[in-house]
Amino acid sequence: MTWKMVSKVEDVKSDKKDGKKKSLFTNHEISMLGIRSNLVQASFSYERMHAPGWTWAQLPFWEKIYKDDKQGLKDVMTDNMEFINSSPPLYPILMGLLLTMEEDHVDRTTIKGLKNALFGPMAGIGDAIFWFTIMPIAGGIAASIAKNGNVLGPLLFFAVYVFLFWSRIPLAHLGYNLGTRAIDVIEDNSKIISHVASILGLTVIGGLIASYVKMSLTINIGAGNGAINLQKQLLDKIFPNILPFAFVFLLYWLLRKKVNPIWLIVLTFVLAIVMSALGWM
Amino acid sequence: MTITLTQGILIAVWAMIAGLDCWLQAFYIFRPIIVCTITGLILGDLQLGVIAGGLTELAFAGLTPAGGTQPPNTVLCGIMTVVIAASNNTAPTTAIGLSLPFAMLMQYILLFYYSSFSLFMSKFDKYAEEGDAKSFKRLNYIPLIIVVLSFGIVAFLSAYAAQAPMHQLVTSMPQWLTHGFELAGGILPAVGFAMLLKVMLKPQYFPYLLIGFVVASMIPFSNVLPVALIGVVFAMIEYYRSRSDAKTEAKLKELETKGDDMEDGI
Repeated sequence: MTWKMVSKVEDVKSDKKDGKKKSLFTNHEISMLGIRSNLVQASFSYERMHAPGWTWAQLPFWEKIYKDDKQGLKDVMTDNMEFINSSPPLYPILMGLLLTMEEDHVDRTTIKGLKNALFGPMAGIGDAIFWFTIMPIAGGIAASIAKNGNVLGPLLFFAVYVFLFWSRIPLAHLGYNLGTRAIDVIEDNSKIISHVASILGLTVIGGLIASYVKMSLTINIGAGNGAINLQKQLLDKIFPNILPFAFVFLLYWLLRKKVNPIWLIVLTFVLAIVMSALGWM
Repeated sequence: MTITLTQGILIAVWAMIAGLDCWLQAFYIFRPIIVCTITGLILGDLQLGVIAGGLTELAFAGLTPAGGTQPPNTVLCGIMTVVIAASNNTAPTTAIGLSLPFAMLMQYILLFYYSSFSLFMSKFDKYAEEGDAKSFKRLNYIPLIIVVLSFGIVAFLSAYAAQAPMHQLVTSMPQWLTHGFELAGGILPAVGFAMLLKVMLKPQYFPYLLIGFVVASMIPFSNVLPVALIGVVFAMIEYYRSRSDAKTEAKLKELETKGDDMEDGI
């Protein structure tokens, strides 16, 4: 909602400022740019990452701009086949922004330079927001509802992501209407946003470790009446969930030693099966 | 129960839809919570699908493709968890462990495509140089079709064709092994969280991780919303603090430059 309002306000402003200048694209077409931004990963490969899909998504728009300029179309296609890798949900802003510049026939190297300057920082913000904040929160809450067999869990999760899917439309409008002014907005806010998203994400991960990693020893120490339950009478007395917390940090330490995540999964299974066979867990 | 041919085909079709979404990341219906629910619906046990979805989603929390790693595939894991649980009457937690080899198989197929799709790039470059928009658009469908068909074939073979040996394996498993898989399903989220921490954790963020952990340990609640709200509180405090800091800094700079000017004047 707020995005839409912002972009509408900007719309009026730019109309006034530029006077006669009329946009080549209708509102509906800019919305379609937002939807088409979902294609960026279509031909994903390690060599160019999103480049072919990124070009595909925007191709109909360039065809309209360079209708009578075959060389222009060739140039824009070739330029955009260069390596690009950013956060998919944020591509609409970048596409909208570059489309205004393309439409104004800004110098090719300027457009290219700007694209290369922006996609990296945007990847950082996007990952922090979408994978590390929204995903654990939406997934965690939906899963805790679904675990009890309540179908509202998956429905809630789906609703969140349908909302995010449609949010690409206002984002495309935002990028298109802000134009080059978007650069300042992104540069001013990228640091604060990723900082704040990290804080939220890490608080949630701390909570998730306590709630969702299940490790509890069943072994008793000593014999007969003097036997104590290691988990209930020792570990839980020190701090509840101390075992999951310690295990996560063991894995974290291994990852920092450049151990492949697949080995961590193998380690987890071996540990669980050994503990089960010994009757310790 | 056994998986009928119709159910096998329906699962393959569903795997193709979810697989396409997994490749493009548009609607996130490739996440286990959705994949399991729909698979449960296909097998006529929605309840099981939803429960398995919740459990598998938690096991895969944090196993994300962010940061350049490709985790075990959630589509195959979700489908096979429900298929194994339904056809062998095993607990979903045990089934998650058993579905992992299938998820890894799909993961390695996708990794292979990530490398080999580089072969299409020279063709893309050629169409771009020629300004041939039509062929360029058409070429993009080929990788998509390859990926979608792979999902369908792998899911059909895993869910339908492999069900007899799978059943034999599951029923011949001793109790300690089944229990071991169940335990592993409960510990597995630790791997995802460790991966998240590797990307996100910097010393200055450790206090937030700790407070989230302590709060969730002390106030057991059915979901993480209270912890998330505490996170929002910290985030807001820090947001306004950073913004006023930035303003002060800008002012300081202004003063400094003014000071310089005056010195020059003297």
